[in-house]
Amino acid sequence: MPKYSLLSPIILLVFVASCSSSSNEQTFDSSKVARASASEVEKVVEDFILVEDGGIIDIPAGFYELNTQLIIDNKTNITIKGAGMDQTFLSFKGLQSGGEGVKIVGNNIVIQDLSIEDAPGDGVKAQHSDGITFRRINVTWTNGDKSKNGTYAIYPVQCKNVMIDEVIASHSKDAGIYVGQSENIVVKNSLAFGNVAGIEIENSDNAEVFGNTARNNSGGILIFNLPGLPKSDGGSTRIYDNDVIENNHENFATPIGEGPNGNTVTMIPPGSGIVLLAAKEVEIFNNRILRNKTFGVAIASYQITGFPDEAPNWSPYTSDIYLHDNQYDRSEGFPDLTRELGQLVSIYNAHGKARTQDIIYDGIWDTTLSETIDTNPMRICISEPSMSELYFSRFVLMNGEDNIEAFKESAPFQNCKVEVLTNTDQLTGM
Amino acid sequence: MIKKSNLFWTFNFLLGFALIAFACQTEPQILSTPIPPLESEVADGNYPYTRLSTYGFFEGNVNKLQPAEHVVIYQPASSLFTDYALKSRFVFFPEGTKAKLVSDDLEFPEGTVIIKNFYYPLDFREPEGERRIIETRLMVHSSNGWEAFPYIWNESQSDAVLKIVGGQTEVSFVDYSGKDQVVNYLIPNKNQCKSCHNIAEQMAPIGVKVKHLNNELEYGSGKINQLDYWTSIGKLEGFEGEAAHPAMINYADENLPLNDRAMAYLDINCAHCHSAEGPASTSGLFLTYDQTDPMKLGINKTPVAAGIGAGKYKFDIAPGLADESIMTHRMSSTKVGVAMPELGRTTVHVEGVALIRDWINSMNP
Repeated sequence: MPKYSLLSPIILLVFVASCSSSSNEQTFDSSKVARASASEVEKVVEDFILVEDGGIIDIPAGFYELNTQLIIDNKTNITIKGAGMDQTFLSFKGLQSGGEGVKIVGNNIVIQDLSIEDAPGDGVKAQHSDGITFRRINVTWTNGDKSKNGTYAIYPVQCKNVMIDEVIASHSKDAGIYVGQSENIVVKNSLAFGNVAGIEIENSDNAEVFGNTARNNSGGILIFNLPGLPKSDGGSTRIYDNDVIENNHENFATPIGEGPNGNTVTMIPPGSGIVLLAAKEVEIFNNRILRNKTFGVAIASYQITGFPDEAPNWSPYTSDIYLHDNQYDRSEGFPDLTRELGQLVSIYNAHGKARTQDIIYDGIWDTTLSETIDTNPMRICISEPSMSELYFSRFVLMNGEDNIEAFKESAPFQNCKVEVLTNTDQLTGM
Repeated sequence: MIKKSNLFWTFNFLLGFALIAFACQTEPQILSTPIPPLESEVADGNYPYTRLSTYGFFEGNVNKLQPAEHVVIYQPASSLFTDYALKSRFVFFPEGTKAKLVSDDLEFPEGTVIIKNFYYPLDFREPEGERRIIETRLMVHSSNGWEAFPYIWNESQSDAVLKIVGGQTEVSFVDYSGKDQVVNYLIPNKNQCKSCHNIAEQMAPIGVKVKHLNNELEYGSGKINQLDYWTSIGKLEGFEGEAAHPAMINYADENLPLNDRAMAYLDINCAHCHSAEGPASTSGLFLTYDQTDPMKLGINKTPVAAGIGAGKYKFDIAPGLADESIMTHRMSSTKVGVAMPELGRTTVHVEGVALIRDWINSMNP
């Protein structure tokens, strides 16, 4: 059963909103933990400032109310250690300036066994770090009104050698576990729930995502490449042995009733299992992709966002995808109607209106490579054991909004495979 | 009034909230950081000292901020907004040393200290009148590079004390229009300094750069180019005249072209993070004075990790549409997580927002 059960003895439902599609579930109850004194809080701040290479920052059990950031500034071989995710709580509810609660810059840094709550921006961010481990940390927001929640719970960016293991990330307004512009990445045995996006790998190279549970987010697992970033295009991701279940949470990245803004995640329709957007070289296998009400897997090009899609050293197309041996269950209700992608599925899919799809492909291809999509120019390979029973829709979007069509024919995308190579040997021992 | 105040306190106590600025416009409710009592200290050469006065940067009463020998005043062309605080800035050059100007960069000798004092006049209409100094930040140049130390001034204004964890204090003043203002001033913790003073994860000065200092300053005896002055007193070599080096303009000078003023404002207020070597390189939004690539400037550029900061908007800059641009949205907010810059600002810089609005509105959609 789910690996996170080992590390979360108490699953506490503090509050379940009356609207079934929103959740405020908390894994641990910080209200019962003794409040740290002002001097104990100040000591933690000081420890982060004064720590020297090779040092250990021990944060005893307690609820620490911080009004300033905790920052590791360019140090090497540092361990930040709490007394357990249900024992040490760093609350940034009172933070008055700064982008994130905990910020880490350095090499070979480990943060483990603690909880981070209510950071106004991001929970914990690591940047420009080589060797960063997040292990058994729980990052969440406790606001009843989720529109006040922060952006990313766990946020390594521009890092090398990233290990995310047995963490819990919940209720972030964007992605719970977000790895951006990084290389050599493992995300494993972790839990993401109640976020807009559960786990997101963006503009990154060489990532393995396995043994995780992404449940009750708007979208379970996202692999994106966005334009205009210093790390322009990422590739080589393997996603396997994950439970991507019931990701039907409302999309609260913008206030309810408000449409998407420029953040791509605001376009994700509730009920999204796995979304590939301008993704390159991705293998998705042995996952249980169950009861996501809009679709199980979406293969999409950046053009569907409607945003400018030209940038140096970057391609808007999704290419070299290998989808095989996954389990699907499309028995959950009706597809989303609040986002354009949900409406597309609801209205135009190839299997009848308002039917949940197992796999969708936007059918946008690079016409300089082939005149027809029948040659599978973007190398989208689908090899699911029970393909004939799955709902697959390939859309035709390139002829304008008035000429949208969908086809259930999957033959051009079968009988092929893509070899996706990842190598995370150097993360062994992290 | 008293009853309301009590209720407010109870509310705060229960929720464990730290007080935030806009809740405190009418009553003094800021929890000011306590300053430890002064202890005597000897200038033994082991930086940092606990007390600012120990360094001997200022003659006479420390709070007069009268520079001692080897301490030279400077002023960047454009000023970084810090909650309307006024700043008096100095560089201390160790005796017998000088800086070098190489490839338009300043290289300082070991032991150089950049001294920046943040203060508020009680009445901004009389900036030379009575004032309260809040903090003094030192950047010390050692063999390991630059290191920052924040000092907080005591209530009697007799000295400032090193406080690496930072702090906060309430500041009241009368603004230029005669209105009473209250600011919850936040003193950053030592490591937060690096959030701005950062080039490729190395601590770096912001205002003490050639382009910011290559302009004239009044020294009491007449106006002279700052780098020329440093040269004349033997503190700099390699300066080849104003025209030979880059120079920034003062964004506040309304006689200058709008585009140049806007770029100068973005450079001094944003580019320390928003550049290829800065912490905000993640965003792809690069706001240095010389930036010309529309996408890097944010024109029709979607955000990456802006989260709540994006508001209702799609693009950092929607040309011609300041009201639909994330840039002005974030500059106009004081909410943590939305507000930009992330540090040093708990109030809105009304004049700065107006400048950037005009600039965006002047662009062709």
